[in-house]
Amino acid sequence: MSGRVRILSRLRRSLSEEAGVTDEERREAVAARLRLAGAQTAPVPEIARTEGAAMLERFEAKLRGVDATVTRLGAMADLPGAMVEELRARNLPRAIRMGEEPDFAGLDWAELDATRGVGRLEEPATLSRGLCGVAETGTVALRSGPDNPVTLTFLGETHFMVLKASDVVPGLEEMWARVRRAGPMSRTVNLVTGPSRSADIGQVLQLGAHGPVAVHVFIVED
Amino acid sequence: MTHQPTTPQFKANSRAAIADGGLQEQMTKALGNSMAKRAYASGALPEFDQLRDAARDLKNHTLAHLDLYLEAYESKVQADGGQVHWAETAEDAREIILNICRSVDATSVNKGKSMISEEIGLNDFLEEKGIAPVETDLGEYIIQLRKETPSHIIGPAIHVTVPQVREAFRTHHPHLPIDRDLEGLDKLLLEARAELRAKYFEAEVGITGANMLIAETGQSVIVTNEGNGDLSQSLPKVHIVIASIEKVVPTLEDASTVLRVLGRSATGQEMSVYTTFSAGPRREEDPDGPEEYHVVLLDNGRSAMVGTEFQEMLRCIRCGACMNHCPVYRSVGGHAYGWVYPGPMGAVLTPSLIGLKQGGQLPNASTFCGRCEEVCPMRIPLPKMMRHWREREFERQLTPAGTRRGLRFWASAAARPGVYRAGARLAAWGLRLLSSGGRVKRLPLAGAWTDVRDFPAPEGGTFMDRYRPDADGKRGAKR
Repeated sequence: MSGRVRILSRLRRSLSEEAGVTDEERREAVAARLRLAGAQTAPVPEIARTEGAAMLERFEAKLRGVDATVTRLGAMADLPGAMVEELRARNLPRAIRMGEEPDFAGLDWAELDATRGVGRLEEPATLSRGLCGVAETGTVALRSGPDNPVTLTFLGETHFMVLKASDVVPGLEEMWARVRRAGPMSRTVNLVTGPSRSADIGQVLQLGAHGPVAVHVFIVED
Repeated sequence: MTHQPTTPQFKANSRAAIADGGLQEQMTKALGNSMAKRAYASGALPEFDQLRDAARDLKNHTLAHLDLYLEAYESKVQADGGQVHWAETAEDAREIILNICRSVDATSVNKGKSMISEEIGLNDFLEEKGIAPVETDLGEYIIQLRKETPSHIIGPAIHVTVPQVREAFRTHHPHLPIDRDLEGLDKLLLEARAELRAKYFEAEVGITGANMLIAETGQSVIVTNEGNGDLSQSLPKVHIVIASIEKVVPTLEDASTVLRVLGRSATGQEMSVYTTFSAGPRREEDPDGPEEYHVVLLDNGRSAMVGTEFQEMLRCIRCGACMNHCPVYRSVGGHAYGWVYPGPMGAVLTPSLIGLKQGGQLPNASTFCGRCEEVCPMRIPLPKMMRHWREREFERQLTPAGTRRGLRFWASAAARPGVYRAGARLAAWGLRLLSSGGRVKRLPLAGAWTDVRDFPAPEGGTFMDRYRPDADGKRGAKR
């Protein structure tokens, strides 16, 4: 504990006594600032304020801009069929790894080797349900947990994510609002913007450094 | 790998770096379009400068209440079942980490990229204690194989050429066929990916840094492009976050503001590929994630910066824009700076962390062109702070005697306008005398300059001669 006490008292001395501000005033300022959680006090850029069709369009365009691919589905029931097609087109085995996501549980996966659980050493294809899509940057936000184990997001060589069209939000502000509404904070909140990449060898950007080589997003009409 | 600073030899290091043709070629190539990428990304966001102001302001507010935000953050981490450890010094941090590793009998540790780990010399220390640290960021992995330190805070291996990477892989992956094809860059990437993939499942402990700590939620945040940090923290039994105390921000909305300027300033990305917010160990219902979650908060001289003229340096979010834009860094590379943090941010931070006696050379490594401050997303007045260090260096008599005499002579002349003007006239006359064709090829006392380039000869009279009004009151007409 002594390191803690020394660090904090050194800070307190500089910030309170020597700055001529009482601790009480400072405590109030911090409490007031933390009460603002959920409200953005900084400017929100125009690109984070799109609406309706323009917002969906931007989300798709931004996804493609970060080397992800997108398809639209009419209904969640179309997912297994679309998945078979995607796997075939990518020359991947007819197998998919996913969590206990309720949206996937009721679907007919008979045509696929669909297994449930965490990510393993070799995972050619994994599937996650995103919490929301951010049109501002083409980002998908995911909450970890039994429904969507976090390891599937990073171990899948091709990572598929599913969003409903109504899950797409204009910017980071609405994203956090949805995260807060989704219940107690999950262990991780993962913001994924395209497939893994690195330019550490020869300063040439290559996809698939450690995480997925490819990212595909299915947007399902509500 | 070695963390014994060579900062006092900055001049000799620089000379060697400039004479190293291979390094020069590689640096030119590596930093090639880094300025253009930042310019494009920031230019494409009309609100960019407003966001910089907002980011500066939110960090100023946080620093003015840093003790309280750290306490708020700590209690949130604990509420989620995580443990917070306070390390006053690098040594404290190393011991805390060692104890955690030993508590689970760890023999290998996976690491996401962390500059704090470099700052505390963690890898050497763990190795000494019989624990194998494995760097998983591709750039960090390459320099770990080559037993080097990072030369850039976000591109640790930018000084390494492709043939050097190939050689490192051939040497350090002896279990693979010696005649395998490693020609294409993709082959190198695939090999590193396969090598490291297995290691993620072997380590008992994963260590990551943190780009931010959120006081509101108790989350630590990592921003990466590879995904290695996430694999390093999700698969082992224990996740240790090492972060310096100034990384805390109040809320998730504040984190968004920082993210909006961070990627654009660093790599020209609107958003890095992976931004991960983590809180505590796995929940009861979680099928994956670490069983233990520890945060080591490192001070190591930072709390002493608070309340001084160097406090603003604590706003730094480690984007690397200042070094990408620095003519000195671009010429000498990161290793010449001799310790962990290079470039303008390193020149300001290093003396605070290892002392002016060791690090005092670095604030002199600036032409004061001002580009670093111009591009800093947190609007840190880097040149001003380098000047503060130079003043302190002078006050503490750390400046060489010759330079001190020169400065004292200059100061006394500059305080006497008559003497100064006469001196300037004399100097202008002398320079013209020594020049031929408008250039001075050799100049007494300025050999350091004229050995490598010509000195321009003055074209007309001194500034004051030109400035003095004519009889009719017009200024500046006289030649």
